[in-house]
Amino acid sequence: MEQSNGTATSSNAPENGQREEGEAFKLKFCTVCASNQNRSMEGHLRLSQAQYPVISFGTGSLVRLPGPTIQQPNVYRFNETSYDSIYRELESKDPRLYKANGLLNMLGRNRNIKWGPERWQDWQVGMPRLKHEKDRGSEGMEGGVADVVITCEERCWDAVIDDLLNRGSPLNKPVHVINIDIKDNHEEASIGGGAMVDLADALNKIASEERDKIGAAAFDIGSAAGRSGFDERVPDVLAEWQEKWPNLPATWTLAWF
Amino acid sequence: MAASVKTLSVGEQIQQLNAARKIVLENAAYYDRIVKGVLPIIGPSSPVELRRWGAEFLAESLSTPALNSRDKENLTVAILDTLKLLVESPNEDPLVLKASVIAAASAYPIAMRWIIHNSYHKESWESMSAIKARVLRIWDGAETPVKICCIKFVQRVVLAQTASNGTEQKINGLDVSLSMIPPNHPLLDPRVLEAEAAGLLDRMLGVLQDNSSDALLVDATLNTLSVLIRSRPTTSNRILNTVLNFNPLKLANSPMTPRTKVLIKSMEKTTRILLIHLLKRDPSNPMAPRIQQHVDRLIRSRAEIFDEANRKRAYAQPPTAEYSEAKRQKVDNAAPQLPALSQPPGPQSLAAAFTLTGNAGLQSFDATQVPAALAAKISVMTLATLSQPVLDQALYSIRARLSALYAVSGLVQPAAINPETAPLGVEEDDDDYEPNFYAAEDNEQILNKLDSAPPEVPVEQALDASSALAPLGPFKLPPPPTLDRDTAAKVGQIAACRVFGPLPNLEEAVLRKPKAGINRLAASSYDRDSWLTLITRLATRSAAGLEDVDGGIKSEDAGMTLDRTRMSLSNVIREMLYNYVLEDWRRRIEVAVAWLCEEWYNDQLTKRSKTGAPLHYEKWALRLVDGFLSYITAQDKVLTRFLAEIPELSRELLGRLKSLCGDPTTVQLALTTLLYLTMMRPPVREIAMDTVAEIWVEYEEARPLATKYLVKWRPGFIESQASGGGSVEGVAIAAR
Repeated sequence: MEQSNGTATSSNAPENGQREEGEAFKLKFCTVCASNQNRSMEGHLRLSQAQYPVISFGTGSLVRLPGPTIQQPNVYRFNETSYDSIYRELESKDPRLYKANGLLNMLGRNRNIKWGPERWQDWQVGMPRLKHEKDRGSEGMEGGVADVVITCEERCWDAVIDDLLNRGSPLNKPVHVINIDIKDNHEEASIGGGAMVDLADALNKIASEERDKIGAAAFDIGSAAGRSGFDERVPDVLAEWQEKWPNLPATWTLAWF
Repeated sequence: MAASVKTLSVGEQIQQLNAARKIVLENAAYYDRIVKGVLPIIGPSSPVELRRWGAEFLAESLSTPALNSRDKENLTVAILDTLKLLVESPNEDPLVLKASVIAAASAYPIAMRWIIHNSYHKESWESMSAIKARVLRIWDGAETPVKICCIKFVQRVVLAQTASNGTEQKINGLDVSLSMIPPNHPLLDPRVLEAEAAGLLDRMLGVLQDNSSDALLVDATLNTLSVLIRSRPTTSNRILNTVLNFNPLKLANSPMTPRTKVLIKSMEKTTRILLIHLLKRDPSNPMAPRIQQHVDRLIRSRAEIFDEANRKRAYAQPPTAEYSEAKRQKVDNAAPQLPALSQPPGPQSLAAAFTLTGNAGLQSFDATQVPAALAAKISVMTLATLSQPVLDQALYSIRARLSALYAVSGLVQPAAINPETAPLGVEEDDDDYEPNFYAAEDNEQILNKLDSAPPEVPVEQALDASSALAPLGPFKLPPPPTLDRDTAAKVGQIAACRVFGPLPNLEEAVLRKPKAGINRLAASSYDRDSWLTLITRLATRSAAGLEDVDGGIKSEDAGMTLDRTRMSLSNVIREMLYNYVLEDWRRRIEVAVAWLCEEWYNDQLTKRSKTGAPLHYEKWALRLVDGFLSYITAQDKVLTRFLAEIPELSRELLGRLKSLCGDPTTVQLALTTLLYLTMMRPPVREIAMDTVAEIWVEYEEARPLATKYLVKWRPGFIESQASGGGSVEGVAIAAR
């Protein structure tokens, strides 16, 4: 069974680009990195292109972008600064530098995805998100809750779990929090984005399978893996995924919103 | 609403329900009405799709932060009966069950607070109690996804039925606790409830006590515990002790499959984060040292378990850049022992003396069979990867063997070693070298020794003598033809020419250049730019510090007469670089600038080292400018750019511009260049304006324009010239 899962997953992959939005079940994702600029936004874009509902956050205290030297980063506030304003500021400061290091390109992409960087710790989980219609991947995220949180760095995963423990899980809703260690540069972010979509596809597949089983009849199909639910199959999917992406070490836990 | 829905298909109904959900998401005030409207169509008799949707909607409604507790009380009371039917219905769909249990978990504290204040409303508490009883009953046998939600439900029950210390957030009923129940409540008996909570907590922690390897259950449990430990003091010690006794790494003893790796990592990390979280929130907790110890131990054990796995994997695949040697622990390899030279009686072959392997098969291998090109390739590769100690050892041992062979043959005594090259007073055996032992030998002694040494013998004669002594002595290569300075210089020039060989064939890298930006390395790609960088550095740095210091005295003829035979390699390359730039100087101005930057940099280093080695920047900058000036036309703004970009400008260099003013077409170019420098390069402003002033004095045709600039940048100059400097002007004019 495990093997057939794997082959089915990989045969799914080429469809990514041409997937059509249908009635099909979609897991809701949330991507998280330090500044909600590079890795989480790459993931946000790619997951939304693959038609998944998705939102994204940063866990840092401030949005930090590289500046002219390592001691002079460009620093902005979360939730109050738009990608567009950051873009315009950097463009006026030193268009050559920020074009050359890819920042303008990244911000240009980001401002077409959503308004501005959001901070994880300020996110009120479960608050309806209806004011974000223009955001990419907003469709399906109206309830303001995600099924799976994907962080892009161990530090962010730690921050997310710590924050969830701190909140005391008032919503009683289980959430899978998965870290994928992605280095903070444009190339790695792009690779990581592809890996995220791959993982999302595999997870969505088992979630759909769970939903497709209706009633007692479900117990007759397939083996134990076929019978078991989404949550318990997540580690299997992750293990399989990890074999495929050995350079993106992953960590997982089941936490609560 | 219910009546109209009956006639629709399930899909259409879901669509309508989704529309209704959107309304409540937009305005939470509608929750009450819409939830109550939905209840009849999501009961146990409805199609499973509707039940799923309904249960999930109920869970969402009861947990939404958009409603306050009071609104939720009404909602909860209205929902309880439907919820009870859903959880009690036999063989319920797992997803329905899961969502219902989640809804029940949110409902429990709300229902409890409601009943605390409205003790008359027995029925709702009975429903809630029935739901609780049902959930506790299915808990053990449920499928895992439902089971984790049961755990969460139980956590909420425990939270509500233990005394609070008031540190929890006041949202979604987290603050409902035993302390809220008045002592004489008709329905709720605090002692009974507390006892029940203690029992449930034990059952909940069972999964940790049994050291379960079901990561899903373990994580789900661990991630609910924080708020209990922090805000329910009566549970803290019990829970902490259980967590500290839980060994998340137990699974590591079983075979490591990718899946077990995920599970172990997950349980270990979740345990650790929980403990660190508790330490951070309450560092003064009496348990803190124990927690800290446990965290340290977990980190260590995890490192042990996974480090081994990592190291194994690193070997399986070629090491990628980031996991390369730099991060690996360095192991001090003992240098391999070279086998002693086997000493069969009879003559030794030269090959045997150079054989370093003890392998008989390899010893008999005839290396001459290997084509020379391949042999060269192998040698280069081997030398590149060989570590210095191994190479040293091999060299020493072969040297030792050879001298041993000399000794055995008894023909060439060590005394016959050319005294000119033999190290003074140093014995053969390097291993016993003790610096202190020789410390007494000072310069004087060495001189004495030299005095007593045999008179100098010409090298060739000495060689002849030794070969005469050894009729069958070791084979000597015929000496190479002596290299005189002329041939050496010629060969050197050929070598330098070859450096320029690839240049025309290399592609232009204009397109890629802006991308690299500030991360650009000097020569990171094999394109023309990189190659030119290499050439300029070869010219400026390769011989830096090795140049003939005395050359400075003779620089006049060495530099000016271009005596090719006596030029160093660097100067040959410089000369060729100069020609290369001048071949197409308008397009190659960048090369010139890059080159001069390198020269300037190198000069700075030379100055700092104070060796008195010759400086090159000024000389080559002047030559380049002279070179350009002979071809320049009025349109060549590139000159301005060149002068603006090179690192240093001297009076002499700018003085060359004056010659442009002899030609009326280039006057403007010369003056605007100087103006540009005045404006944009403040350090040379004075020199530039001085030059303009000189132009004003020397070239009458240039005066109108020069006057304009001088008025602006050196006010008063023209007046002073007009009044007092008439004679100077006269002289200048007369001179022309």
